[in-house]
Amino acid sequence: MSSEWEEAIERSTRNNVPEVWRMLEEHPYLESTRVELRKAKLRVLDNLDEFIGKTMEAVTKSGGVAHLARDAAEARDIVDRIIGGREHIILSKSNVAYEAGIRQHLRDRGKDVWETDFGEYLLQIAEEEPSHIITVALHMTKEKFGRELHRNLDESINEDSTPAEMAAAVRRFLLGKYDTAEVGITGANAVAADTGSVALVENEGNIRMTSVRPQIHIAVTGIDKIVPTLGDAFKEVMIQAAYAGSYPPTYINVTTGPSSTGDIESQIIRPATGPREFHLVLIDNGRMKAAADRELREALLCIRCGRCYFACPTYRVMGKEWGKPPYSGPTGVMWNAIVRGDSSAAHMCTHSAGCREVCPMDINIPRVLEYIKYTDFKKMEEGGKK
Amino acid sequence: MADNASVTSALLKRTVYRNLMKDYLPFPIDRKLCARWAGGIPEGGSSIIYTSMMYQMAPMFKAYESLLPRAARLRGSERLASLGKFLFKPKRAELERAYAILRNIASMLSKSDVDFGYLHEKEPYSGAILIELGMRDEFIEYGKKLTSFFTGLGVERVITVDPHTTNALARMKEYVPSRLEVVNYLSLIDGARGEGKFVLHDSCLYARHLGLRDSIRQSIGRTGISLAEDRMVTGKGTAMCCGSPVGAVSPDLGEKIAEVRARALLSVGGSVMVMCPMCYQALSPHIKGLKDFAEVVR
Ligand code: SF4
Repeated sequence: MSSEWEEAIERSTRNNVPEVWRMLEEHPYLESTRVELRKAKLRVLDNLDEFIGKTMEAVTKSGGVAHLARDAAEARDIVDRIIGGREHIILSKSNVAYEAGIRQHLRDRGKDVWETDFGEYLLQIAEEEPSHIITVALHMTKEKFGRELHRNLDESINEDSTPAEMAAAVRRFLLGKYDTAEVGITGANAVAADTGSVALVENEGNIRMTSVRPQIHIAVTGIDKIVPTLGDAFKEVMIQAAYAGSYPPTYINVTTGPSSTGDIESQIIRPATGPREFHLVLIDNGRMKAAADRELREALLCIRCGRCYFACPTYRVMGKEWGKPPYSGPTGVMWNAIVRGDSSAAHMCTHSAGCREVCPMDINIPRVLEYIKYTDFKKMEEGGKK
Repeated sequence: MADNASVTSALLKRTVYRNLMKDYLPFPIDRKLCARWAGGIPEGGSSIIYTSMMYQMAPMFKAYESLLPRAARLRGSERLASLGKFLFKPKRAELERAYAILRNIASMLSKSDVDFGYLHEKEPYSGAILIELGMRDEFIEYGKKLTSFFTGLGVERVITVDPHTTNALARMKEYVPSRLEVVNYLSLIDGARGEGKFVLHDSCLYARHLGLRDSIRQSIGRTGISLAEDRMVTGKGTAMCCGSPVGAVSPDLGEKIAEVRARALLSVGGSVMVMCPMCYQALSPHIKGLKDFAEVVR
């Protein structure tokens, strides 16, 4: 445990936890909304195949293209095919894109690829891994931000610069990137099965820019993000934002197919000003198997608000070393078991159950981790491993 | 670290389970020593006080924990088993403290007109460590054995005195249905009295797993003891673990969690209280004058 990590997690906890309490107290309707959302998501998990089909159909109907990738490699192939020879690509923070290794893959292919989320951009230039599912650079103090920007972006910034000066330097750089980008890759907080719409929530404005400025928008996400209706998708972004500590969020983005206009004789013409193409890449990568497992499927309800991290003693000490980025922390350890078949980190759970108390989806995380430990023992026995 | 944790867990599983199925003990333990506190309590009966040897063994658990990662590195459960032959003994003062706590709990129960006996040297271990480490199949197998052991002795009601045992028996009923009534002593000691103001380090098992956080505060309040609270440190979703449960898998991690927790508790107040012998083991090196609840009430 480095002292820099201790400092960073302490500051973030002190800021985040009371903020979430305040938001929940000020907006009491969020309580019933989260309960409804859990029910809606369970409905999808009970009939995942059917909902995937419905979603893909709705995307096609809206003029978009829907893809289903069995695993990370297939997702990378699909993205490759869509991008073709285009060179300039911008990404907004997406755990699923990270899970599928998309940024690294595109860089390896020589593309000009930039993360547009401030934290993710910092990680990119510092060549570091995310330490939290939302606040990806949580392990970095302001001073560390300053040092990295000084080294990689702007010499006038240093550890004594103010956060506003740092943000301004990153903003200048990113605004240039939006101008030249040909493809924008985002994740999705929720995908509505009835309309094929993708809902995304944010504060920086980078997701809006990434999904609108380039002529091709690709949304990469897991099949667990499907909800029955567009109304449910709004519930998911509201709850995600509140439990992450940013409510009301600055922006909620909804994308249903490519841009269009009906202004000329009421005929739908595509594209209008925004993207010409919209692609939804849905990734399975172990989720389908997890959905069929009564105990593990609870993990698929996670809306990635990141609140459980601040309630976890193991994460408090180990940070991103507990699990494998982007999936560290209590939810991340469940997700490593789902998408990578890696259960080893579950044994470090100290079953404090603070995570369960704060989870908006009422996921009994310690019980899921206990189950993962249990299945890990079984695997060890079957494999004759010690 | 995580990979080592898997190996240590697997090793624990084999050793502990084998010992339990053999003679109801997770490690070699001196049963006489564990039962010495209970002179005068009748043998057996339909209602018993059940220590599961937790207060008596807690210091030994720590000693075994520190052995495990070494044994895991050597990939040698046999070696560990042979180390077990050394029969770790808690220090005299530690044992005396455990005896005093248990005698006080027994006396508070008597004062509250609760009838109970004790199994003395026949007392078995609950199997808590199996379920806490995720060894479900073994826990269920041991649970069947333990349940018939109690039934065979005509035990109908078990009065638990620590969170690990209370939780283990609650979980056992999920898998091995039985008529055994499990009740924690905290809900039975109507007449207990104490004084002073303390910061309570909640047991994760009592407060969150068993949902007793509020009822425990009510029980404490009735004794006359008051609690210093800080929502960021002692709240339901913010109060962290003492590190002890993960100590068996990774002593380093357990130790660091204990340090962090102790710092947080001391930021609320200087007199800190626990309700679990394992929490006491984890936190007492970092908190001067740490007390168990059963040391501050009569
Ligand atoms: S497990 Fe619950 S608290 Fe943790 S990130 Fe997911 S939804 Fe949020």
